Amino acid sequence: MMSTQSYVKILNEWDIVAARQVGRNVAKELGFGTVDQARITTTISELARNIYLYAGQGEICIEKLWDNGRTGLRIIAEDKGPGISDIRRVMEDGYTTSGGLGAGLPGVKRLMDEFDIDSEVGVGTKITTIKWIR
Amino acid sequence: MTKREYLEKDYRDALSKYLAEQTEQALYLGQKISKSAMESDISPEEIISIHQNALKQIFPELSKDEMHALDFLLEVMLEYGVAFRELQSLRHQQRELKSEMEIATNVQQTLLGTNIPVIDNLDIGAISVPAKHMSGDYFHFVEDEHKRVAVAIADIIGKGIPAALCMSMIKYAMDSLPENRTSPASVLESINRVVEQNVDSSMFITMFYGLYDPSNHIFTYASAGHEPGFFYDYQENEFKELTARGLLLGVDKRTMYKQYERKIEVGDMIILLSDGVTECRTNEGFIERDTLVELIQDSIHLDAQSIVNNLYKKLEKMQHFQLRDDFTLIIIRRKF
Amino acid sequence: MNISIDVQDINSEVRVYVKGEIDAYTAPRLREKLYPLSDKDKVVMVVDLSEVSYMDSTGLGVFVGLFKNVRAHNGDFKIIGLSERLHRLFEITGLADIIHIKSHAEGGTQ
Repeated sequence: MMSTQSYVKILNEWDIVAARQVGRNVAKELGFGTVDQARITTTISELARNIYLYAGQGEICIEKLWDNGRTGLRIIAEDKGPGISDIRRVMEDGYTTSGGLGAGLPGVKRLMDEFDIDSEVGVGTKITTIKWIR
Repeated sequence: MTKREYLEKDYRDALSKYLAEQTEQALYLGQKISKSAMESDISPEEIISIHQNALKQIFPELSKDEMHALDFLLEVMLEYGVAFRELQSLRHQQRELKSEMEIATNVQQTLLGTNIPVIDNLDIGAISVPAKHMSGDYFHFVEDEHKRVAVAIADIIGKGIPAALCMSMIKYAMDSLPENRTSPASVLESINRVVEQNVDSSMFITMFYGLYDPSNHIFTYASAGHEPGFFYDYQENEFKELTARGLLLGVDKRTMYKQYERKIEVGDMIILLSDGVTECRTNEGFIERDTLVELIQDSIHLDAQSIVNNLYKKLEKMQHFQLRDDFTLIIIRRKF
Repeated sequence: MNISIDVQDINSEVRVYVKGEIDAYTAPRLREKLYPLSDKDKVVMVVDLSEVSYMDSTGLGVFVGLFKNVRAHNGDFKIIGLSERLHRLFEITGLADIIHIKSHAEGGTQ
C-alpha cells in the first residue's frame, strides 16, 4: 500500500472550507466522479465541524491510497479534545446533538466505504474513513 | 450492465421522450424510474448525477453554467440522501420495537387478566383502556368461598412501560396475599410495605380496595390516596362521593389505613375509577365530576357493562380520541 | 407546555417558585433542578406553586420524592400557593396529612 498525504489544521470555521477544498482537489485528481466528490467533501465537512465544535482544534489528513490495484482516498480526523464516552450511542441512527436528521457519524459511515473510530475520554478522538473508486 | 447503468439508460430514454412530446405517458415513465431507483437503493444525489449525464448526452453543447448549477444542486441534495437512508434505518428499528412492544402488551394482558365474577344479585361492569400500548392502571376481582367479591383498582403514577413494570409487582404482591383475604385496610397495609421497599422514592401508587358481602350487602373499603369513586343512592336518585382518606402507597411503610363501610340497597351502585377518567381534558378544560355524573345518568337504565362502555365512548369522543392517561372504570350494582 | 423554575436562597431557606404546567414532560426538569437542593442537611425548602396552572400525578411524584429526601436529611419541606384543584389532589392522595401545605385562601406567606 502506498500513500501521499496533505494536512489541514482545523482551528476555526474557515478551515472547514479549506479542508473541503483539499479533499475536492485530491478526489478530482484521483478521478472520483461528481457524486463521490460530493460524498467525500461532505464527510470532510462533517468531521472538521465536529473537531471545530467539540474539540476546539485538531487536524484533517487527506491521503491518496493505492492498494492491490485499487485507488482510494483516506480521511483521518484527529483531535485531542474531550473524547467520546459512549461511542455506540453516537453511532446510533437518530442520535443527534443538533436536532436534525442526516449527517452525523452514522451518515459519514454511509457515505464512505470504510469507517473506523477510536476515542478515549480526556485523550481525544481519531476517525479514519476511506472511499474507493468503483 | 449494472443496475445503475440500466437506470441511466432508462432515464435518458424517458427524458428524451418527454423533451420530444411532453406527454403524460413520458411523465409516468419518470415516476416508474423513481420507484425502481428507490428499490435499487439509488440515492437522490445519484439521480441528479444521472440527470446531469443524460443532459450532457442529449445536449452536447449545453453551457458550463447549467452544468455548474446541477453540481450545486447535487451538493445540496447529498445531505437529503443521507437523511433518507437514516430514516429507512430508523423505520426498520421502529418496526422491531413495535413488535417487541406488542409482545409485551400481550404478556401484560395475560398477566393482568381478571374475570368479572358472576353473582346472582350483582351486576358488574368494567372497562380499562391504556393511553399507550401498556397500562399503568390495574384492576382485579376475586371471589372467595363465601361468595364475597373483592375488588381492587390501582393507578401507578406515569404511563407506559415503567408503570407497566411496576404494576406486575403489584399483581404479584396481590397474588401473595393469604387465601382468605383479610380486611381492605390490612390488604392496603401489606401492599404498602411491599411498594415502600421495592419502588423508587419518586414513584408511587394509588389503590382502592373493597369487599362486597352479598349475604348482608355491606361494602367494606379503604383507599390509599386513590381518586374517590361514587356511590349512587337509588332511592334518592343521588350520586355521592365515595370518600375514603388514606396516604398513597410507598410513601411511609408504617402507614395505617382507615376502613369504611356502607350498606348497599337494591338498585344502589358503587362506581370506581382511575384518575384517567377525571383528568379527561376537553376543549372546555377538565371534565367536571358533575359532568361525569350526568353522563352516567344518561345510561343509568342500562346494565353495568353498557354504562361503562357508553361513558368511555363519550369521553373518548369529547377528547377527540386522544387519551392522555390510562382509563379504568368499574360499576357494581345490587340487582335484588 | 412550559415551565420555569426560579430558586432563591433567603436566610438559609430555599425558596422555589414554579410557573407553568407540571406534567410528564416538565416534571423531569423540576426533579433535576430541585433534587440536588434537597440533599443538604437540615435544609428548609418552600415551594410556591401559585403560578402553576396544571399538575398531574407525575408532578406529585416529584414532590413526594423531594419530601422524603428532605425528611431523610432532617429538614423541613413546605408547599404553598396551592390552587383549589391542586389542594384537592394533595387531599385525595393523603399527602396533605404529612406534607405541610398552604393554599391560596390561607395566604401564600406565613
